[in-house]
Amino acid sequence: MGAAVARWTVAAVLLQVAGLSLFLYGFFPVKPTLRGFSGTESYRMPSCGLVSAGEQEPALPPDQLRSLYGELFGMPPVYDRLVLMVIDGLPAEFVLGRGGKPPSKEMMESMPYTQSLLAGCKAVGYHAKAAPPTVTMPRLKAMVSGAIGGFLDVAFNFNTQAFLEDNLLDQLHRIGRKLVMLGDETWIKLFPTLFARQDGVSSFYVRDTVEVDFNVSRHLEFELAAKDWTVLVLHYLGLDHVGHIGGRRSVLMTQKMKEMDDVIRRVHAASLQDNLERTLLVVVSDHGMTEGGNHGGSSYEETDSLALFIGHSVDRPHCSPYDQNEALQVDLAPTLALLFGVPIPKNNIGVLLRELLNSLTDDQKLRTLELNSWQILRLLQAQIPAFCLEDCINSEHGLEIDVHPESIEKKLCQLLSKAFASHQYSRVHQGFDFKSAEARYIGIAVDNYYGFLRYASEWLSHKATDKPFYLLISAILLMTMSCLCLMGTVSRVFNGQSLSQADHHSESYLNQHWHLDEVFILTGIFLYVISLGSSSFVEEEQYTWNFLTSTLYLIFLIKTVQSMLKGSSSTLVHRAEGESSDGNKELTPGKRDGYKLCTVLIVLVAGRVIRAWHQGGINWVHFPDISKLLAQADSSIVKFLQTISVLAVVALYSVSLMLLRARSKVLIGVWLSHISCGLLVLLHIWEDQINTTLPINHSTTSTARLFYAIASVSISATLLASPWIFPVYSTEAKPASSDSNPVKDTDSCGISNSVFLTGITYTMFWCLLQLLLQQPINAIPLLLIFLQTVSSVAHFSLDKTLHKQWVQVIAMLFLGMAGHFGLGNTNSLASIDVAGAFIGISSYSTVLSGILMFTITYGSPLMLYLGMVVYISVNNTDDISTARQLTWSYILDKMVTLPCLLPLLINSVALTSYTIVLLLMRNHLFVWSVFSPKYLYVCAATVCTYVGVLIIAMTTIYTCAVFSFRAKSYRDKFH
Amino acid sequence: MRAEATQISAFTTAAAHALCFAGLAVAHSLAGRGILVSDPALALRLLVVCEAPVVIAVFSYLRRDPRSCSFFKAAARGLIGLPVGAFLNAFGAIVLGAPVGIKYWTVTIYWSLLMSLFTFVPAACVFGTSKIDWQNVLSHSIYFTPTDIENYMISAPCHGAVLGAWLGAWPMPLDWERPWQEWPICVTYGAVAGHLVGMVVSWVLIAVHKRSGRAKAD
Repeated sequence: MGAAVARWTVAAVLLQVAGLSLFLYGFFPVKPTLRGFSGTESYRMPSCGLVSAGEQEPALPPDQLRSLYGELFGMPPVYDRLVLMVIDGLPAEFVLGRGGKPPSKEMMESMPYTQSLLAGCKAVGYHAKAAPPTVTMPRLKAMVSGAIGGFLDVAFNFNTQAFLEDNLLDQLHRIGRKLVMLGDETWIKLFPTLFARQDGVSSFYVRDTVEVDFNVSRHLEFELAAKDWTVLVLHYLGLDHVGHIGGRRSVLMTQKMKEMDDVIRRVHAASLQDNLERTLLVVVSDHGMTEGGNHGGSSYEETDSLALFIGHSVDRPHCSPYDQNEALQVDLAPTLALLFGVPIPKNNIGVLLRELLNSLTDDQKLRTLELNSWQILRLLQAQIPAFCLEDCINSEHGLEIDVHPESIEKKLCQLLSKAFASHQYSRVHQGFDFKSAEARYIGIAVDNYYGFLRYASEWLSHKATDKPFYLLISAILLMTMSCLCLMGTVSRVFNGQSLSQADHHSESYLNQHWHLDEVFILTGIFLYVISLGSSSFVEEEQYTWNFLTSTLYLIFLIKTVQSMLKGSSSTLVHRAEGESSDGNKELTPGKRDGYKLCTVLIVLVAGRVIRAWHQGGINWVHFPDISKLLAQADSSIVKFLQTISVLAVVALYSVSLMLLRARSKVLIGVWLSHISCGLLVLLHIWEDQINTTLPINHSTTSTARLFYAIASVSISATLLASPWIFPVYSTEAKPASSDSNPVKDTDSCGISNSVFLTGITYTMFWCLLQLLLQQPINAIPLLLIFLQTVSSVAHFSLDKTLHKQWVQVIAMLFLGMAGHFGLGNTNSLASIDVAGAFIGISSYSTVLSGILMFTITYGSPLMLYLGMVVYISVNNTDDISTARQLTWSYILDKMVTLPCLLPLLINSVALTSYTIVLLLMRNHLFVWSVFSPKYLYVCAATVCTYVGVLIIAMTTIYTCAVFSFRAKSYRDKFH
Repeated sequence: MRAEATQISAFTTAAAHALCFAGLAVAHSLAGRGILVSDPALALRLLVVCEAPVVIAVFSYLRRDPRSCSFFKAAARGLIGLPVGAFLNAFGAIVLGAPVGIKYWTVTIYWSLLMSLFTFVPAACVFGTSKIDWQNVLSHSIYFTPTDIENYMISAPCHGAVLGAWLGAWPMPLDWERPWQEWPICVTYGAVAGHLVGMVVSWVLIAVHKRSGRAKAD
């Protein structure tokens, strides 16, 4: 049976891994981005073949670079100065109306100056569609880089918020332009070193609608008078705050819009003062808002953002300002880049806005379009490696061929060659023909260029955001299959067990009917799965786990009390219990009951203290808790608590080694190494106190490294040596020679002891490692989680008939999850402790610090998995000694099956159901802010489960193998 | 002793529960609508003050061993049971995450007294120190195996109150920003509702029990 179970389990795990990776690939597409910054090569036609990456241009000083760009471009910049005014959350509807109709009278009146500019054809406005997630930071990135980032870009850049991709502001900075930023501090986070002058305001105080904008406008007079800047970024947050408080129809809205209109008037008036009219004023909004004033999703109201251009190049004699003029938010980047004479950012998928080129000559127009096409072509070549312009031209032979192309590649090819060919044609015919004919050729060329650009841009943006639905569904099917597979395996194991148990104790007290704790566990898991569908419950998951875990242990408490009542009232049960407690002869029943009660109470009280340590979650994180209290207190108290925790762990290890009652050199060696490790951790803690100012200190690094070395050596030594130091045959057993069934004599005590030694060593060293890595404030919660682990194991071993084995395993899993949140983790990526991930690492290494980060974040569940090894050792001795056929495979089966299968099953249920939830919620408002980060945590928890189960399985299998080998050689020697 | 115990009829049980319900209703009418949300301490105090004499009197009257134990002794058991049960309930609630700040102390005390009246006091009055009966109260076997009417009468409302309070705590962490999400308002609602449902369940169980008992007698 064992082999079949193992095979099925491995198959299920493999299925799950396949499904999970398929889903991740489908749901979070990682688009290939081009690294580096556009340079002079963007003024040359992209060549075929591999993009030469090694071609490094010499870094020119800004002035030379500027003139070089000007030369290559072939035309001077259209504007010299840019005022980029971002009005956070302003829907384009407020200014430009909707569906070809002008906005309501009230809205018109609240922005009189802007409306007069629009009516006088001095400004051009676009409904610039923003891509979801419609929140500020990704939208600002899209505006300046022209690229739509994926979710994982955000997730993988958690250690730096600075924007590293090619973008407009960096390009301007490289040619020596001076930038000034006033407003939302998101800009400063994105570009920490770019601005010559900056004044950031925080968007944290959403209730404030006046001060945020005043803090921007107070600098206006000075900045508008100053002549030194080229780019002035103004980011007004007030309108977004008004929306968050009162929605679109808030009474404050018109007032705020009047204020914004006044700013536009002032800036425009100042720009008119320099005679040359070389200033471009761009008024944009990063996203819109719903009726209720929220944003983040993908509805029309949220994505309908504004892009309004005021400058000389958009002037035209007649216009209809309220036509539904559609564009994309990303179009801003190439348009501004070309108007200011810098290369288009590399990953841009935007297209030049046509009305902005009104003042250019026809040649210049075609030149700008050509540059945009070349840039997009380079991006296409990164997506479709074989895509090549020359091939297109060679295969098509001119523009006359008009077959319907079958593949996207062909279609792109055709559009591109058509555009370049018509450009060439108009160039050849320049000056020969009549004016009207020339204009016609140019018109055709422009149209062809736009045909290609729009098509390519659309295809690229779909590639970035589209989710292949069938791929996701098949991924979910794979995961569901794996889940069912595991369920089937577990039920098979249960059937086998109940059969074998029915053989042994027919009057078994356990098999009568469902017990309260069993019913509760099933209900609790069901409730947990249901709660995953609600964004609020996902945000506040720590409450769910704490509630479920404490309830489970309260039920254990009730059952313990009940068994005590039963034990003292009924002599029959008393006798049965006396029989079953053969293993613990030294304990009187009364004392045992006391211990049972105490261990449960310790778990409960410790759980409550852990709960109070970190408030956690998203919404109530500002509530008072113990960690905030300690953070305000003197740091020596925290050091003191850390010291206590380390000493307690070291003392507990000594006690538990004493329990083994075996004297061996290995044991003493491990004990000494544990003590030295404890001392190292203490040293690290106290050194840290002396040098708090230095972030990376050489001596602390070496201390941590020494710790890693000693700990890993002693753990592996224990694992390898422990099966060899305990006797295979106990001294009490009969001599092996006179026995027909030799294996029966084998003392299961030896194997239990050796597994116990390995398990306790794992757990204790893990504890010390966590004390070293975790934030100082987490020392006591770690100790408490450790106490919970030990108490649970003790409780389960004191009375093996009280709870079924699967209930015990799941209770330990629950403890692990409750402890995970108790250490201050939440379901947002912000709570990952990055600082701890660099302890003992001198140079930056993604893999090493990633492993440390995982160790820190999943410290508690992994500790419970290691505790499970201890649990296995103390909990199976009775079953094994009473079992009828005592073969090694049977012992292995008994020990490993449930502790390995159940975590896999529970995790599989959680993973599969959450994947389905994520798929259902893919258009939800909070899909990027709540559900997707949680999904990353679920994936990491899956990895954690695999690691834990692997450790349990490998340890036990190795120990069993060694014991069976020793038993065999022992028998060979005597027969 | 068993023969006496079965003398309590379904009607007596219903009457006892009706009296307890009347106590709650009186407290509710005295307090007025919505006061549990606006002033939970006052409302809970009213509930405890109105319910306590009713519960202790009714269940002391229904004590299991009327011969060996006087009415007043049973009432004294109930009075002692009230703080003990309150302590146990408060322990359970705090372990499950009830806040322990100073401003919550009064409401926690009143709430746990009320829970004690729902759960611990009736059992203390009726059963005294009989271990086997207490064990029955703690287990859920009464729903599967037929037992005394008293067990139904005591256990089902008690289990209902605990279950209701447990379920009532679920909305507490949500960000709905409703005043009733505060501790212990929704938990109290859940406990009262669960208690009432438990009363109904106990009548149903008694009715089923009687019918099956009669069928067995036939």
